[in-house]
Amino acid sequence: MNAFRAGLGLQAALLRRSPGDLHILATVPLYTLILLAMTDAPHRPGLAPDAIIAPTLMALWSTALFTAGDLIDRDRYNGTLEPTVAAPAGLAQVVAGRISAVTATGLLAFAEAWAVGRCFGVHLTVRHPLPLVLGILATSLTTACTAAVIAALLVLTRGGRPYQNSLSFPLYLLSGIVVPIGELPHWLHPVSRLVYLSWSADLLRSAFRAGPPRDLPVQLLALGLLAAAGLACAGVLLRRVLARVRVLGTLGHA
Amino acid sequence: MNTRPRPEALTLLRHGSAIAVADLAAVYTWRTWLFGWLVRMLSQVVFFTLIGRLTGGDERFLVTGNALMVCAVEATMVVASSAWERSLGTLPLLVAAPARLAWTFVVRSLQWVISGTATSLVALFALGPVFGLRWTAGSACAAVPLVLLTSLGTYCVGLALAAFVADRPGLRNVVSNVAYLGMMAVCGVQVPVHYWPPPVRAVAQALPLTHELDALRGVLDGAPPVHVLLQALLGAVTGAGWLAVAVLGFGWVARRGRRTGAIEFGT
Repeated sequence: MNAFRAGLGLQAALLRRSPGDLHILATVPLYTLILLAMTDAPHRPGLAPDAIIAPTLMALWSTALFTAGDLIDRDRYNGTLEPTVAAPAGLAQVVAGRISAVTATGLLAFAEAWAVGRCFGVHLTVRHPLPLVLGILATSLTTACTAAVIAALLVLTRGGRPYQNSLSFPLYLLSGIVVPIGELPHWLHPVSRLVYLSWSADLLRSAFRAGPPRDLPVQLLALGLLAAAGLACAGVLLRRVLARVRVLGTLGHA
Repeated sequence: MNTRPRPEALTLLRHGSAIAVADLAAVYTWRTWLFGWLVRMLSQVVFFTLIGRLTGGDERFLVTGNALMVCAVEATMVVASSAWERSLGTLPLLVAAPARLAWTFVVRSLQWVISGTATSLVALFALGPVFGLRWTAGSACAAVPLVLLTSLGTYCVGLALAAFVADRPGLRNVVSNVAYLGMMAVCGVQVPVHYWPPPVRAVAQALPLTHELDALRGVLDGAPPVHVLLQALLGAVTGAGWLAVAVLGFGWVARRGRRTGAIEFGT
């Protein structure tokens, strides 16, 4: 637990000193504004929650992809992975703490989007607070687990880095965070359901709808399963990363 | 008296373009460009265009705006690639070189114009018809220079911003992202420019993307050629204005850097 806390503290300090790493948070107000303007259609009221939830999920995914995903590789580039591995604390706990700090910072996007909505004249009513809280927690957990997979994968597969940037809009499209999955071709629906953002979007949207959130247990179960799968995958990949860089002698600056 | 020989503009363009092409080859292979970058950008176009289906909006309007927007996204990467010189420690060498710093930066990131123009053209010609755009030989020929002008114009906007973040290279991604999203919001890409209040509309008029997009929509809607030409010209003029700001900005960076040493290695 100490290692987790140390990782959390370290990453918080790093983020405070490198505001450029939080550039994704600077995009949230603009994405919110754009989506609110686009969904400001008199004949289709009720789209405002979607326009506010979508940028927050986009920001969470982007921080996972770019900031958290780069953690291990950047340590290696800076030459700090070697002493981190040599330290008595487990690397997995340190990385988990650091990724949690990044994910927690990404949650600021919710407040940003909400504030932009208020300025735009959108007053969202939370009709079901429990799904909202559970949705945020489950989404954060799954984001952190997925970020750990990305962080390990980017070290293992050097050829994967050019595709890092490509995992943004294709996934936003697939997960139906603004346009429902129903608008996509039928054969894509099962693929969409493998993207955790699709469950998160449905869950968070249900908190603002009048009807009871009947799918809450299924949505939470799906997010839990995807988080568990991500965690297991990240554990295996992290062990492979350590074994590989030790054998190849590329643990240090690379 | 300055006795250093000034290199010819064409020589500078040739060397700068060689660096740009080398950078492009270092950033992408044809495979990563096609299956990574292009897929990402086309997905962005589809993502925003499908919102029109949700709200009952005009899909032709959205697909045209978003397809042209992708070249603006790529052109503003000049903010980041200009800042790389500082993090690589090569800025002092560029300041010491006989060529003027501003023109070195003007030609050094042209790879984004090349790639951005290609991406937008693929989006317009391949995705456009899926969402209702109908191309004729004439309109397709007119679209090519308009896309190139948009790339060049937004590249100049990015260059001006790059000069102002030369001292804070850590902010490069913040500035480039805010710049292209700001353009996406106000230039008529997602909603008409008149949706916004008058001060925002005035800002939009100072951006090349607003005028080139208007010209492109004019081409697709069969507007009079005079209107199209006038808008294209207005876009070019605003782009030239931003280029002038960029040249002045980089001149200031060079003078200030020599005086204070603020051009050393930095991230």
